[in-house]
Amino acid sequence: MSNDRLFVLPGETIDPSLIPSHPKNPLRLGPGLRHIPPSDIVPTVAGQLITNPVKNFMSIEYNSTHYIPSQGDIILAQILRSTTDFYLCSLAPYTAPATLPHLAFESATKKTRPILSPGQLVYARVSLANAHMDPELECVHASTGKADGLGPITGPGCVFDVSLGFARRLLMARAVEDGGVGVLDMLGGEEGGGLAFETAVGRNGRVWVGSDNPKTVVIVGRALQETDRSRLGMERQRRLVKKLVREMRWRD
Amino acid sequence: MPREAEPSLNEKQFVIQALQENLRLDGRELDQYRPLELSFGDQYGLADVKLGKTRVLAKATAEVTVPYTDRPLDGIFTIATELGPMTSPAFEVNRPTETEVLLSRLLEKTVRRSGALDTESLCLVAGQKCWSVRVDVHVLSHDGNLIDASCLAVVAALRHFRKPDTSMEAGVLTVYTPAEREPVPLSWLHSPFCVTWSFFGEEGEIAVLDATWIEEQVRVGSCTVSLNKHGEICQIAKLGGTPVEAVALLQCVSVSLTKVKEFSDLLDRKLAEDLKRRDKGGFMAELRAENDR
Amino acid sequence: MTATTLPEAALGVLPRADGSARYSHAGYTVTASVNGPIEAQRRDEHAYEAHIDVIVRPAAGVGGTRERHLESILQSSLAQIILVKNFPRSLIQIVLQVEDSPENDYVNTKLVQASLNFAIMPALMQTAVLALLSAAVPMRATATATAVAIMHQDGAKQTVVDPHPRDIEKAQSVHVLAFTSHDELLLAESEGDFTVKEWDNVYETARGICCRSPPQAKEGMAMLLDDESTGGPDMRQFLRSTMGFKVAADLHWK
Repeated sequence: MSNDRLFVLPGETIDPSLIPSHPKNPLRLGPGLRHIPPSDIVPTVAGQLITNPVKNFMSIEYNSTHYIPSQGDIILAQILRSTTDFYLCSLAPYTAPATLPHLAFESATKKTRPILSPGQLVYARVSLANAHMDPELECVHASTGKADGLGPITGPGCVFDVSLGFARRLLMARAVEDGGVGVLDMLGGEEGGGLAFETAVGRNGRVWVGSDNPKTVVIVGRALQETDRSRLGMERQRRLVKKLVREMRWRD
Repeated sequence: MPREAEPSLNEKQFVIQALQENLRLDGRELDQYRPLELSFGDQYGLADVKLGKTRVLAKATAEVTVPYTDRPLDGIFTIATELGPMTSPAFEVNRPTETEVLLSRLLEKTVRRSGALDTESLCLVAGQKCWSVRVDVHVLSHDGNLIDASCLAVVAALRHFRKPDTSMEAGVLTVYTPAEREPVPLSWLHSPFCVTWSFFGEEGEIAVLDATWIEEQVRVGSCTVSLNKHGEICQIAKLGGTPVEAVALLQCVSVSLTKVKEFSDLLDRKLAEDLKRRDKGGFMAELRAENDR
Repeated sequence: MTATTLPEAALGVLPRADGSARYSHAGYTVTASVNGPIEAQRRDEHAYEAHIDVIVRPAAGVGGTRERHLESILQSSLAQIILVKNFPRSLIQIVLQVEDSPENDYVNTKLVQASLNFAIMPALMQTAVLALLSAAVPMRATATATAVAIMHQDGAKQTVVDPHPRDIEKAQSVHVLAFTSHDELLLAESEGDFTVKEWDNVYETARGICCRSPPQAKEGMAMLLDDESTGGPDMRQFLRSTMGFKVAADLHWK
């Protein structure tokens, strides 16, 4: 995967030898590619071409800041207002609101549903995303009926905006090895002196950091934003964490 | 038009709570400005101010027109402010919002009414011809504290600006093109700057400098002090909000003076640097023009 | 006095916009912001495609008919290369702020009513494309643009690439051409008197600047000749390397 570092621009021709051709599995196209029948596969954004012959999959890797909803994404939404049957939520500024049914919470009934006020944050999954319709959200797994950690976000903490690529890296199962983000582990570990905090990362580029100590929230938030913006590698992340922790100690 | 995004409840509560503990989201001290950058363009009269994520561009221009009949001895000086869709998609062209109106009023009071630019020197022929100087303020990116950034941009643009040279001979007015005569600077009297304080807490007891956009959304009041480096106050604007103790305001004004001195030094230094750069460029340009002919 | 400076660009200059770019070339500096796809106003909503909104703001003075004209040309060209069908009922907003434009030192200009020069078109186009790429708005192809003027000097005709305002004043005709990365003509606007043959010449010159093939195919004789005859910058290569740097920096962690 890492040796295929081909940079492409929208509309460029992809060398047919690079397109994976698995004998059985159908070819799957990820974000940033489109298929022009009969057999042309063309990039639509500028980025790196990623191909995986084993899974017969190809996509374009790129970073951006504008979130476009996609089914199954875990996101951090903000309640705009409530109607009779659902809440209207915002996933990204200035975009069309998404709907979150009142009953799409764990064991919610007409009487026990959570009452959310405008401005409140909800950790939710995109259950329906379609170009022609407004996106739909849910805070409960449709088949199991369990929340799996989704739901309204309460407790002291704050939200920090990061780029979409960074949010994706944070959400990787092995964020340190595959995504190259170690700040969270470092902050909670030796370098950060074992800060206690929790996070909720949304694919829409928003990260909620919760802790009883506001200083911790600020340190974690700044560490995340700085790592994202200055494109820090592991070693520089470590130095940043140490610096931030030292600064805060000094203020006490 | 899409509605302006609002910060979430969680953010609002947190910002207020953190400020009670002297803590800001970006780790700054309460009276600390974000990194301030000032640069000039290739043309005269273009100033670009970056204050953290806030960015303001000011462009000064001049043309010869007829003076107002009630002020035959004065030139014309206008400041045009616009918060267009580049600032935020929620702003529409030619539909001023409250933020924009307040911003332009404050700039007007600070720069124009304080007599920073000698408008009498803009008069060419009494009652017939005068210079009209115009500054266009473009807000490219809005992350709070537009007032301080815009004011600095306007003052910087005007001090950097050169208008065409003129002469009066036997009743004939000649305006020289930049190729004939080197343009001349405006007659500038003093440089006022704005310092905006935001107040937080139930009685506005927490005073904060250079608020970011999110801090501006949750503040209980604000106060803009305009003064020059000699400590001469041009105006103080406290438009509504929670009342603030007079003593606290006095304290704010004295801190403002030290900030204004920093602005003033920065501007002087940048103007001197630009002059040096331009001197070299001017000479080279001259040589090239010769060769061309 | 053709400005032979190479184009320069910076991406992501406005932290709060979805995508942004600052581009300077031949004395023009333009900053662009792109937001989208965002919610469109009712009156702008199309059932099947995204509405492209282009706004051109002059550095000084209020915009007028000339700016509206530039906006409409840009709007129709950009709508061709953006995959508008991907985002029905939405809006993609492109705001172009002119920062600096070369001034003619030999005339005093009136400035309260801004009148943007025709030759700023390529800079506007190029900035818009860079900002769209930085916002990762899905596109069919990229585009490159250039301005060419035909001048009469000592009885001989001369084509000038990226003309200076002083050249434009004396030029017989000024042409702005843009090509997509598939070598298709995207935009051709002309001002002044010219013959079909002259236009063909202009077309070839502009094509040489906008549609140079990638370096690996650059060994042929034709390419060498082209380099000598036009001497203009290779716009396509410039676009590619600018974006290449951005993507490489974004994906440093891989």
